[in-house]
Amino acid sequence: MKLISLTATNFMPFKGTLKLDFPSDSVKNVLVIYGDNMRGKTSILNALRWAFYQAAKGRHLRDIPLQDMVNKEAALEGDWTMETCVKFEADGHHYTLSRRATKKPLVTKPSRPEDFEVISGLLKDSLAIPAHLIEQEINQFVPEQVSRFFLFDGELLQEYENLLIEGTAAAQEIKDAIEQVLGVPTLTRGRDQLDTLLKEAQKEQTRDLKHVQGLEAQAEKQAEWQRKQEAFDLDLSSLKDKLKTNKDDRTKLDDELEKLAAVLRDKQKYEFYKGKEKEVEESVKSKKADRQKLLAEAWRDLLQPKLLEKRTQLQNLQDDISGVMTRRTKLEGRIEDLKKMLEQRFCPTCKQPTPEGDRAKVGHDLGVLEEELRQISVDQHQFLHLSDQIRDLNKVIKPLIWPRIASIDNDLTKLNIEQSHIANELEKLREAAKTYEDADVAHKKVRRDGLVKEEGTLGKEIDDTQKKLDEAKNQLAIISKAIEGLPGARAKKSTALVTIYRDLGKVFADSIEKLREELRLSVAARASESFKTLTTQKAYSRLEINTNYGLTIIDEHGNPVTIRSAGAEQIVALSLIDGLARTGRAAGPVVMDTPFGRLDLHHRDNILRYLPTTTSQLVLLVHDGEIRRETDLAPIASRIGAEYEIKEVNPRHSILERVTV
Amino acid sequence: MSSTVTEPTMIGLTEKTHTGLKRLKDDEHFNQMADGYRFGIALALASGVIPDEIQGAGTIFSVATIDPNREIYTAIKSLITTGDMPVYRWAERLAEWGVTELIRRAEAGEIDFASIFKQVEEGIQG
Repeated sequence: MKLISLTATNFMPFKGTLKLDFPSDSVKNVLVIYGDNMRGKTSILNALRWAFYQAAKGRHLRDIPLQDMVNKEAALEGDWTMETCVKFEADGHHYTLSRRATKKPLVTKPSRPEDFEVISGLLKDSLAIPAHLIEQEINQFVPEQVSRFFLFDGELLQEYENLLIEGTAAAQEIKDAIEQVLGVPTLTRGRDQLDTLLKEAQKEQTRDLKHVQGLEAQAEKQAEWQRKQEAFDLDLSSLKDKLKTNKDDRTKLDDELEKLAAVLRDKQKYEFYKGKEKEVEESVKSKKADRQKLLAEAWRDLLQPKLLEKRTQLQNLQDDISGVMTRRTKLEGRIEDLKKMLEQRFCPTCKQPTPEGDRAKVGHDLGVLEEELRQISVDQHQFLHLSDQIRDLNKVIKPLIWPRIASIDNDLTKLNIEQSHIANELEKLREAAKTYEDADVAHKKVRRDGLVKEEGTLGKEIDDTQKKLDEAKNQLAIISKAIEGLPGARAKKSTALVTIYRDLGKVFADSIEKLREELRLSVAARASESFKTLTTQKAYSRLEINTNYGLTIIDEHGNPVTIRSAGAEQIVALSLIDGLARTGRAAGPVVMDTPFGRLDLHHRDNILRYLPTTTSQLVLLVHDGEIRRETDLAPIASRIGAEYEIKEVNPRHSILERVTV
Repeated sequence: MSSTVTEPTMIGLTEKTHTGLKRLKDDEHFNQMADGYRFGIALALASGVIPDEIQGAGTIFSVATIDPNREIYTAIKSLITTGDMPVYRWAERLAEWGVTELIRRAEAGEIDFASIFKQVEEGIQG
């Protein structure tokens, strides 16, 4: 059997229509769907389950009511129609299986499954199959009892690991489920029916014996034990019902508490982000205040380039005047010296007498210098004015402020981004913050603890009643045997019937044990095959099955491996599921939701390599935490036929997009 | 010559620009209107604007408030040939132009002050 496509409209978080094309190539037969938690991976699994069996399963394999399957956003907009259509090939035929749920005309807001009308249709090679034969047709290829082994989520692995712990109530439940799948109930029901017939025959026998002289006492004794047996039967049945109701209530509360724990985490996150929002707001406020303070002084920065240029011009002018003043001072000094030389006839510097012949030259030089000095004029007023201007400019030219403003602007941009992020997170978490109530949680916890206690008490009462019932049956068997030997009783038809039903019952009981044993061995053989391929520990030689279908790893010396890692547990569980799936049906597609939780890379690689070889198609629904798409899928890169990604539009609306390989 | 020019003691803006300046303060671009007024004068001076005479300017600030240390006076005197017109009348014209420019820039939301500073710096370098 091969899946061709799945379309779903308004199914759980998928508002509008989602379309999924399954790979048709027998080599490239792996389809990978990526999605973060809470985005809708399990909903895709459920869309297939609903398409095939008109049922969707939530946590602990509880049925999800129809009104909760319709996309919430579509429902808010008044669209309460939900549909699925799966196309597949099997035994050379082409099938189209459609289901459509619509709100009944007089219902305003559906609150229970009965508020919907569901129409199903199956086309086989374009010919319609009558409605009452649809289930039978589907069960030929994908029997519903086996569905949990090919449409399974990670939770199932955990559940199957419980099988390894003998004697637990959970293990018994799973054992019953496995036997349901493998066909044991047919025989069990036969045995139970014979048991009922035996009881009736024994009653008849008692009535008959009351009329046989000498056997009244035996008859009375038998009647008494029969009454007891009936009473114990009734007690047992009522206790089992009570336990079931109790367990259902407790599981429901466990689920609610688990959901509330997630809501609490969200609420705590909400409060964290609220605090952060305030912190960022304060920070923005303070930065803005700092910025305004700086801006009040930053006007000078705008003028600085021009004022610096102006100051340079003024300084150049001042330097020019200063140069002239220096020249003038030097000239005045030289003139003074020459005058002294002429008047005092010696050099004022070296104090040596001036030779007579040089005096004429000194006189000439003095004349030239005096002329030069006369031509130099110094504008003292201008010099002072320039100094004043430069001093005033220096008061305006101050260290730059705008780099600090730019840095604050940068910080503000970052804070704005953070504010947007916080606002988005708060929007997402707002609902959680509103709904969580401490008192409600405390109330539920007390109720749950009470139910757990009661479960223990009921379990003990069931054990006690079962013992009493067994004792009654035992006593009746002894009495029956004794009666059979009495000539007066032997002649009665009722005695013959008791004998026949008892012997037949034994045949059925023995057959059940034999069939169980054969099935166990078949499952063990197939699971061992899978296990040897999947395990990375080569010293492990096989798996051994116990009466509850729990599996034990056997090492190369034939000894059981008692300590196993979480990863090994998962591999064993996966092998068991594979063994059960292959015992229960022909090869077909397998859809696995979040299957790699605790596995190391090597085991993950082994699973990825192995499963595509034993299935017609392998659909993996994974999140980034368990598979890094760039590296971890390398072992099966050549087998991936298609990849999709679930993207969130908002918490009530996801979309499925094909990824280009 | 400058000693003969009488400087005003009060300066202002046209009514329209005054309203815009109030909004700049209300929108928290500036802490005080006076900060925006000074920034406007500096922006106009840095942009090399020689503004026209303004009609109908009211009185808003005292000169002592806007320029307590006569720094704006020095800047205008250094960068513009003021002639016979009082320096603070120039300041008023420059403020009218600069504040109008700031109002224009604020229309898009935040005023990108960093880019104004950068433009001024690059303008001189260029």
